[in-house]
Amino acid sequence: MTIDPADLIDDRPEDGVFRVDRAIFRDARIFELEMRHIFEGGWVFLGLESQAPRHHDFFATQAGRVPIVVMRDGDGRLAAFVNSCPHKGAQVVQTRSGNARLHVCPYHSWSFDSAGKNRAVKWQRAGCYAEAFERSGHGLARLPRFEAYRGFLFGSLVEDVPPLAEHLGEAARFLDFVVGQPEEGLELVPGAVTFTYDANWKLQLENCSDAYHFTSTHPSYIRIMERRQKGEGAVAVRSVWDQSQAWREDAEGVQGGSYSFEHGHVLNWGRIGVGETHPLHECAAAITARHGEAGRDWIFNMRNLTIFPNLQIAENASSQLRVIQPLGVGRTLMRTWCIAPRGESSSARRQRIRQYEDFFNPSGMATPDDTVAYEGCQRGHAGRIDPWLQGYSRGMTASRTGGNSLSDAVGASPLRSVLADAQLCDETLYHNYYREWARRLASAKPVRK
Amino acid sequence: MMPEISRAEAEDLLYREAALLDEGGWDDWLALFTEDAVFWMPAWRDEESPTADPNCELSLIYYEGRRGLEDRVFRARSGQSVASHPRPRCVHCISNVRLIECSAGNAEIGSAFTIFLHDVRAERTHHFFGRYHHTLRHEEGTWRIARKKILLLNDTIPTVVDFYSI
Repeated sequence: MTIDPADLIDDRPEDGVFRVDRAIFRDARIFELEMRHIFEGGWVFLGLESQAPRHHDFFATQAGRVPIVVMRDGDGRLAAFVNSCPHKGAQVVQTRSGNARLHVCPYHSWSFDSAGKNRAVKWQRAGCYAEAFERSGHGLARLPRFEAYRGFLFGSLVEDVPPLAEHLGEAARFLDFVVGQPEEGLELVPGAVTFTYDANWKLQLENCSDAYHFTSTHPSYIRIMERRQKGEGAVAVRSVWDQSQAWREDAEGVQGGSYSFEHGHVLNWGRIGVGETHPLHECAAAITARHGEAGRDWIFNMRNLTIFPNLQIAENASSQLRVIQPLGVGRTLMRTWCIAPRGESSSARRQRIRQYEDFFNPSGMATPDDTVAYEGCQRGHAGRIDPWLQGYSRGMTASRTGGNSLSDAVGASPLRSVLADAQLCDETLYHNYYREWARRLASAKPVRK
Repeated sequence: MMPEISRAEAEDLLYREAALLDEGGWDDWLALFTEDAVFWMPAWRDEESPTADPNCELSLIYYEGRRGLEDRVFRARSGQSVASHPRPRCVHCISNVRLIECSAGNAEIGSAFTIFLHDVRAERTHHFFGRYHHTLRHEEGTWRIARKKILLLNDTIPTVVDFYSI
């Protein structure tokens, strides 16, 4: 039996049709293709420069199923390597982060410096190696492509990818808003939160961009916000949404929208406004000085940015960096951090952290309602009677080619854009994910089983 | 004259708390806490160290004041949270109870916990384990929880963890 990814996306703009076959979420052959051609066959986000600030610092990460270590060498240069000894394949680095000039493989003691270079093959002289062995390299396998954009580190396990700047394209303009609030750089708040869910990785990919689910999936969170506004509940945890109309069904006028960028990146956004419950309120003037008024308004907006396929930055109830790590066709691991601007006051940082815990944590009051819904979708995706999902249809007549006045104001040129009132809740932005998905998988031969 | 707690009394309180969580007696559970109670489940900085300062590091849960817990109970009962219903079946097993420090009207209690959960919707069973640290205060003639710290050791969370399952 063969499966051709092209058969699973029904993309006919001229007929006003875009449909996705449920099989893409449940078929193990598709998952294998995704790993090979997307996660292990192109640019993926690996981490932040600030995770290895000093010489010889390192951190462990993942590219698809492949364990990776990013290291800063003695000259301060960063590089990424497969975290696997060339001798027998054992993982060389054992901890998630640290500092070491020398990494010794725990299995047979081959050692490597922080530039990935082999420093010793144990008992090499006595080893009676053939000349062919002596002539070959014994260092850690270096990722053929590794580049940084303003502190965001990306790598590719294959050589044949465009330069990172081209891969990010115009979406980079919205990464700029993440790092300059107002100073250059951002930091991960200490404390990483990791969770799994038993469903496909693309459910998380989509949910980050899903404006339609908020009032349906999170009414309990909305009720809590209302309690707190009335002075009941944990008053210390005021929400940035106190001042926003974007999620209220009766709000009028443009409340948000979406942008689609080349290579599958997507932004959805909602108006928030420069209000005092926002942790950035204290530095609004400095942000305006750096980014102008249009840029400031963008920074205060709710923005969910996906850099396809594995990086999502959600700045809404608080600020989250999440990395999607698919474990299997029906199982996904999420690594999540609270991100914050450097130099933030202690009171703003505290407010940001409290808002984060309540909304984003798997122990909070919103994310569990998402992940449990994903698991319900995964079970439902077993259905084959009517395989075509209809969740890609809202906004079909609102989507337009190119940007709009709001993206023009900050010099960003997306492929497509939608301006939305509170109830439009665009779903055409997912088309961008699946067009890139289909483009990447088109290079794959149908898999025979 | 404020009393000093005995280990048997401390155990009774912890077991009662466990039963209230497991059986859904959440109003009585809330009543075990002082008005200004701190409820804290740290996150982990790295493999070996949990976060220590909730003001500048992330926690899994952190509330200052019982009202934060009241929000959680409100949500779990709201009928508006798909994660909260149907509720997983849970058993809190508490052991290794020891008095770390006690004086008249105050006590620090350490214990170990294992929580077994069955998610009935997903037909999936798993467990959480770790250590509790309860700070107790004698108030209005009874021992109340002034601070509860939950150190979760297996912190790769399978989908959901909530106040009743930890």
